[in-house]
Amino acid sequence: MSEFWSVCLSRFEKELPAQQYNTWIKTLRLEDDADDPEARPTRLRLIAPNRFVLQWVRERYLDQIEALSRQFFQEPVSISLGLGSAPPDVAVSPQPQRETAMAPKNGSTRQAPAHIDNAYEKTRLNPDFTFDTLVTGRANDLARAAAQQVAMNPGTSYNPLFIYGGVGLGKTHLIHALGNEVWRQNPDIVIRYVHTEDYVSDVVRAYQQKSFDVFKRYYRSLDLLLVDDIQFFINKARTQEEFFYAFNALVEAKKQIVITCDTYPKDISGLEERLISRFDWGLTVQIEPPEQEMRVAILKKKAEASKIDLGDDVAFLVAKNLRSNVRELEGALNKVIAFARFHGRAIGMDMAKEALKDIFGATNRQLTLELIQKTVADYFKIKVAEMYSQKRTRAIARPRQVAMSLARDLTHHSLPEIGEAFGGRDHTTVLHACRTIADLRSKDAQLNNDVHVLMQSLKG
Amino acid sequence: MTLQQLLLDIRPEEAPSLNNFVVGDNAELMSRLNGLADPRVFDQIFLWGPPGSGRSHLLRGALAKAQARARPVILIDGAMLGEELAAAPGSLLIVDNVEALNESAQITLFRTFNAARLVGLALLLAGQSPPLRLALREDLRTRIGATLVYEVKPLSESDKADALKRHAHARGMRIDNALIDYLLRHGRRDLPSLLRVLDTLDRVSLEQQRVLTLPLLRDVLQTTLEQDHGPRTV
Repeated sequence: MSEFWSVCLSRFEKELPAQQYNTWIKTLRLEDDADDPEARPTRLRLIAPNRFVLQWVRERYLDQIEALSRQFFQEPVSISLGLGSAPPDVAVSPQPQRETAMAPKNGSTRQAPAHIDNAYEKTRLNPDFTFDTLVTGRANDLARAAAQQVAMNPGTSYNPLFIYGGVGLGKTHLIHALGNEVWRQNPDIVIRYVHTEDYVSDVVRAYQQKSFDVFKRYYRSLDLLLVDDIQFFINKARTQEEFFYAFNALVEAKKQIVITCDTYPKDISGLEERLISRFDWGLTVQIEPPEQEMRVAILKKKAEASKIDLGDDVAFLVAKNLRSNVRELEGALNKVIAFARFHGRAIGMDMAKEALKDIFGATNRQLTLELIQKTVADYFKIKVAEMYSQKRTRAIARPRQVAMSLARDLTHHSLPEIGEAFGGRDHTTVLHACRTIADLRSKDAQLNNDVHVLMQSLKG
Repeated sequence: MTLQQLLLDIRPEEAPSLNNFVVGDNAELMSRLNGLADPRVFDQIFLWGPPGSGRSHLLRGALAKAQARARPVILIDGAMLGEELAAAPGSLLIVDNVEALNESAQITLFRTFNAARLVGLALLLAGQSPPLRLALREDLRTRIGATLVYEVKPLSESDKADALKRHAHARGMRIDNALIDYLLRHGRRDLPSLLRVLDTLDRVSLEQQRVLTLPLLRDVLQTTLEQDHGPRTV
């Protein structure tokens, strides 16, 4: 069994970059509970040092480990992943407890025997967000270059680094990448990623518990502070004041601060002038919405990371329909991948269109009878009132029948309800209209086209 | 004057579950929802559909299944969410009607999204329209847009017929297929309304001691319409 694991380790060591191998694979332990070590196992258990490693390995490497085990043992072996039982996290850090009720309490949920993983968890960095996984284009190349520069020389190149741009463009990815790169180069550096909302909560908690000393000491002990979405500071005077002092202390001590915001600093109202002027000390860079080519590149890179073969046509289809942000763009790709996996189909144009229907909402079910009546009346150039009038001339009765039949097809209304909306007509009249139109559509090309066009324009 | 038969109201009420939902074209969604009961699954899912599409049924079904598997789970309506949300690590959080989230509740949900990765939360959110059309803070709206988005697909006519027959059968109604067809042709098109018509039909048939016939169904449909819209004026 241990022989199998050595084979696995050496295979991964060859295939993966050293950092990934050390972080994800080398930390795993194969649990050996068989009485007879020579016996062929039917079940193997891999122990991960913490939940993050466990999740990461399950998502990215488990398939490969299973494949290797089949090769090695010449028979299927089931491999499960588990967490190591670790001593409770007794390190009493001056780190304030997070205000959020969702935050795990120290020691209760985190199980990290290895000192290094524990330290990494405390950074709150997301291991998924690295420079490697960030696609660069005209929209973000300056911001990326600045972030890399800062990662190489934290505290001494640009301080603070202020990154701004619209929602869902990758600001958070970029500062996590910066943090991860600094950590990769030197895990002894004390890093903390904090979302402004959580920082605000920390201040509130410190205020309530009269523990400002602990709070101050903690934030001033950091070597690299990454503050996300600083627009959430707006109109929170006490928090701004605390941040102002922390900011000064860190910059003076040549500790790096990186800030993101959804607007250009000078355009933020409700933020103290003295803070805004300090943001100017370093470098301010913008992330813009990605152009189409970059959106395509993002999709292809992400698909590649998930080992999915994504054709250009499908990538363009997704990129064309989701322009404003990267976050939803990636969401759409996940949707396509999930659809393909569930239905066991290869990713192609038709299936992608089908999968994306859920995202774009192909059919608009908010259609009302009034809207249908108005649209049909406008189309046939008659008055809306004719929809409920008693007139029966062909020029009016036919459009009315079309509207009734569309109402039946496109809304949830019953025949009597539709009859009611068309001047209190009997439900049999509606049924007759539906049948007439269905019949005419097969004989009258012009009418068929009219109904088709109306249906398209009503569905939007 | 005939005496009206008084009924003892002991209708068989089946609690909504993932098993008694008519799947139709929603197989992929159902498989995802079933998966959420597993405490090791941390999916983030948004499902949308108009009232009557079965959203609430599905959410309550997911809740019941998670409870049965002992996964900590919370179901809350968007209108009820406040500034704090205490979800235990590893739990499944279900929020219905995201349209109804007020300003501070939107920030609560936004923070929940940010914390989900660290704490290990599965999210199941629901609303009436796709994320692109949700009128919420952009930072929250795009996070919802990045989840796995599913429309609850309406049932086909034959699926609806099956569901109605099953429902009638469960109530012990002896109903002719022709009546079901008539109801599907003439009634509203969403399943909950159709099921309500069946319930009314059953009640009226017992009260008036009339056999389930087309004229009775017509009466019931007409009465339902008048209750909803007032008597007809021609």
